[in-house]
Amino acid sequence: MSVARSIYAVARADFFERLRRYSFLITLLFAVYLGYAAATGKVLLRLDDYRGVYTAGWIGLMVSMVTTTFVSLVGFYIVKNAIDRDRTTRVGYILAATPLSRFTYMLGKLASNFAVLTSIVFVLALGAVAMFFFAAEDRHFNAWALLSPFLLIALPAMALTASIALVFESLPFFRGGFGNVAWFFVWVFSLAMPEMLKRPWLDPLGVVGSMNSVLPAARAAIPGYKNSISLGFGVAQTQVAQNLRFSGIPWSAHSVLLRLLWIGFAILLALIAAVVFDRFDSDRSLFPSLGRKTLSLDPSPAGDSDRNGTHCLTPKRGAAPTHLTPLTRAALSTNFPQIYSAELTLALKDARWWWWAVAAGLSIAQFAAPLDVARGPLLAVAWLWPALLWSAMGARETRYGVRQLLFSCARIVQRQLPACWLAGVTIALLTGLGAGSRLALAGRVPELFAFVAALFFIPSLALFLGILTGSGKFFEAFYTLLWYVGPMNHTPGLDFTGAANGALVIRDAAIYLVLGLILLVFAFTARARQLRGG
Amino acid sequence: MQLEVEHLSKSYRRSVQTLRGVRLSLKPGVLGLLGPNGAGKSTLMRILATITRPTAGRVLWNGADIARDANALRNVLGYLPQDFGVYPNLNAIEFLEYLAAVKGINAGAARKRIGELLELVNLTEAAKRPLGGYSGGMRQRVGIAQALLNDPQLLIVDEPTAGLDPEERVRFRNLLSELSGERIVILSTHIVSDIEAVATSIAILGHGQLIAHDSPEALLASVSGKIWEMVVTSADLSSARQMHLISSTAHRSDGVHARVVANSAPSPNARPLEPTLEDAYLAALTAQRNSADAGAAA
Repeated sequence: MSVARSIYAVARADFFERLRRYSFLITLLFAVYLGYAAATGKVLLRLDDYRGVYTAGWIGLMVSMVTTTFVSLVGFYIVKNAIDRDRTTRVGYILAATPLSRFTYMLGKLASNFAVLTSIVFVLALGAVAMFFFAAEDRHFNAWALLSPFLLIALPAMALTASIALVFESLPFFRGGFGNVAWFFVWVFSLAMPEMLKRPWLDPLGVVGSMNSVLPAARAAIPGYKNSISLGFGVAQTQVAQNLRFSGIPWSAHSVLLRLLWIGFAILLALIAAVVFDRFDSDRSLFPSLGRKTLSLDPSPAGDSDRNGTHCLTPKRGAAPTHLTPLTRAALSTNFPQIYSAELTLALKDARWWWWAVAAGLSIAQFAAPLDVARGPLLAVAWLWPALLWSAMGARETRYGVRQLLFSCARIVQRQLPACWLAGVTIALLTGLGAGSRLALAGRVPELFAFVAALFFIPSLALFLGILTGSGKFFEAFYTLLWYVGPMNHTPGLDFTGAANGALVIRDAAIYLVLGLILLVFAFTARARQLRGG
Repeated sequence: MQLEVEHLSKSYRRSVQTLRGVRLSLKPGVLGLLGPNGAGKSTLMRILATITRPTAGRVLWNGADIARDANALRNVLGYLPQDFGVYPNLNAIEFLEYLAAVKGINAGAARKRIGELLELVNLTEAAKRPLGGYSGGMRQRVGIAQALLNDPQLLIVDEPTAGLDPEERVRFRNLLSELSGERIVILSTHIVSDIEAVATSIAILGHGQLIAHDSPEALLASVSGKIWEMVVTSADLSSARQMHLISSTAHRSDGVHARVVANSAPSPNARPLEPTLEDAYLAALTAQRNSADAGAAA
C-alpha cells in the first residue's frame, strides 16, 4: 500500500469515527450559532464606535475573523483526541503492530483533524454567503473578497491548530489537562505575537494582519479614528461608517505565500510530533514515566508480568487464607467523614511534589503580600493552580473506567457526590486560605462573601461539567477562559473572586452563589439520572 | 434470600433487542450463565447490578423491585464488570479503601477485610504499588477483591477469569464454591469448564432469550444417549460437519475422532459417550437455532 493511501486510510477512518459521534453534531451546531451571531450583529468588527458598510469584503473579513479566532481556540479542544482515542480504544495497539510508520500515522491524523476543522470553517463560509444575500448593505457581489479570507486566513490557522493538537498529544506532559490549560495561553500568544514581537509577518492565525488591512480605509473614512479595532460579542451600539466600503483584503503574492507557508509549518509540526510520538509504547516515550501514567488500559491479557518489568509477582501460592471474616452489620455503617477523606485523598493523589511546592508558595505569598494583592492577582493565580484537580471531579470515574464499580454502590448521590464536591471546596479553601483568612481578620465582609461564593461556585462548575461531559476538558477550557477574562483581566462581573467587581461585589457574589447552587443541583440531577441508567 | 427476574426485556436504540422476556428465580448457590457472544449475558448482568434499566419486566430482590429501591440491592451487591478500570495513581490498598468508603464499610472493618482479600487474590506483595503499573491479570484480581469487599449477598461476576493464569483460575473457582453457600453468585463466562466446576445451576441465553435453566445434572440428562464418537477420515470431516453437530475433534492414527451430538447414532461405527456440559450447551443452542429457522420458514 502506498504511503498516500495509508495516510488517506488513517484520515478517513478517524474522520468517520468523529463524524458519527453526537459531539460532531454539537460542534456543527456551535458553528451555525457563530454564523448566526455574526449575521445578526452579535459579533462585530468594531473600529472605535463604528463599523464598515456590509460589503462582500467586510462580511468576508468579519466572519472569517470570527471563524479563525473562535474555531482555532475551541477547535483545538475538539480535535485534541485523535491519538488519545486510539489509545483508549486500544486500536493503537493494533496499528502499532502494523508496518504503518509514525510519520504516515501522524499525517493521517493531521488530515483528519484538518478535515474536522475545515468542515466547521465551511459551515461558517456558507453563513457568510447567506449573510451577504440577506444583510449586505452594498449588493455588489465579489466572491473572492467574500471567501478568500476563509481560504487564506482561516484554513492555514486550522492546519496549525490541527498540528499543534497532535504535538500536544504526542508529548506526555501536554497530553492531559495541563495541555488543555496551556493551549489557551499558546493561543493568546499566537494572536498577539505580531504585535508583541513587532514582526507583522509572524502572524500564525493571520488575525492581526487581516484586521490591520482595513485600517487605511478606516482612517480615510472615519474622522478622528484612533486606530482601535476589535472583534467581540458586542451589545454596545455602533454607527455605520457610510464611507467605509471595504473591498476585501488586498492580497499580494507575498502575503499569499506567507499564509501558505503556515500550512507547510503545520505539516512540519506534525512530522515533529511523529518524532516524539511513542507509537503507543510508553517505554519509548521521551518521558516514559509521564506517558505510562496516562495509559489506564493495558492490553496485556494475563499473566503476572507487570508493566514495569518482567518479573513474576506470584507470592506464596496456596498460602492464602481460604476464609474471609464475615462483615458484621456494625461494619456496614454510613460514615460521611470517611468517604469525604477518601475523596479528598483521591483528588490530591494526582498532585505531585512540585504542585504542593507552588501551592505552598502561593499560600505563603497570600499571607505576606498587601491584602489587595493577596485577594487580587495572588488569589487569581492560586485558583488557577488547582484547575486540573477540579477538572477531574465528576469525570474521573468515566476517564478511568471505574463508573460501573462506583455506580453499583449504594447511595452514590447522597454520599459520594457530596463528598466529592466538598473535596473540591476544600481544595479551593486550602489554596485560597491566605487571602480568605486575611479578609475575615480584616472584617471585609463583602469581599469575604465574594470569596465564599467563589469557593462554592468553582467546584460546582467543575462537578457539573465533569458529570455532564464525562471529561475534564470542558472545565479546563472554559474555566481557563473565564479566569483569563475575569480575575486576570479584572473584567467586572466576570471576576468570580470579586476583586474587580467594585461596589457591586455583593450583588455579583450573590449571583455566583446562586449560579453555583444551580450548577450543583444540575450536577446531582444528572448523576442521579446516570445512576438510573438514563 | 431470593432474586426474581420477571419477563425482563431490554431494547437499545434502532430497535436492537438484546433481552427478550427472561425469567429466572435464584436462591443461594452459583448460577452459571452461558451463551454465545451477543446473547445478552452482559446486559442481563448490568441490569441485575442496577447499572442499566430494563425496557420491560422487573427484578425483585427479596420481593422488592430494584427499579424502585436500587440501594436495597446495592447495599448487599458485589459486582465485577467485564470491562472496568482502576485509578492508576492509587495503590491496591488505597483503591480498595476508597471503594470500601463508598460502599459504606467503616474504616477498621475495611482495613481488616482488605488485608484478607489481598492475601486471597495473591496481591499482598504488590499491594503498595500504583495500580497503573499492574498487568491485566493483576488488575483483574483487584477487581475480584473489590467485588468481595462488602461481604455481598449477591455476587455478580462477568467473565471473572478472563486474564487469569490457570492457577489463579482454579483458586478463583474454589473461592466461588466456598462463597456460594450463603449467597447468590451469578457467574457469566464463555469458559464452560469454569461453570462445570462451580455452578449449582446453569442458565443458557441465546439471542436474548433464556433457552434453558436447570441443574447441571438435568442438563446433562437432557443429552444423555445423544453423544457419539465416530471416526472419519480427514477428507470426510468437512462433509461430516455439514451433516452433524460436531462439538470437538481429535486427530488420531486411525483418523479423526469426532464428537457428535445426535439423537441417533450418526454412523454404524459410532459409539456412545458420556455427555459433558459443553455438549448440553451446544445441543441447547442448536435446538434454539433450528426452532428459530423453522419459525422463519413457516
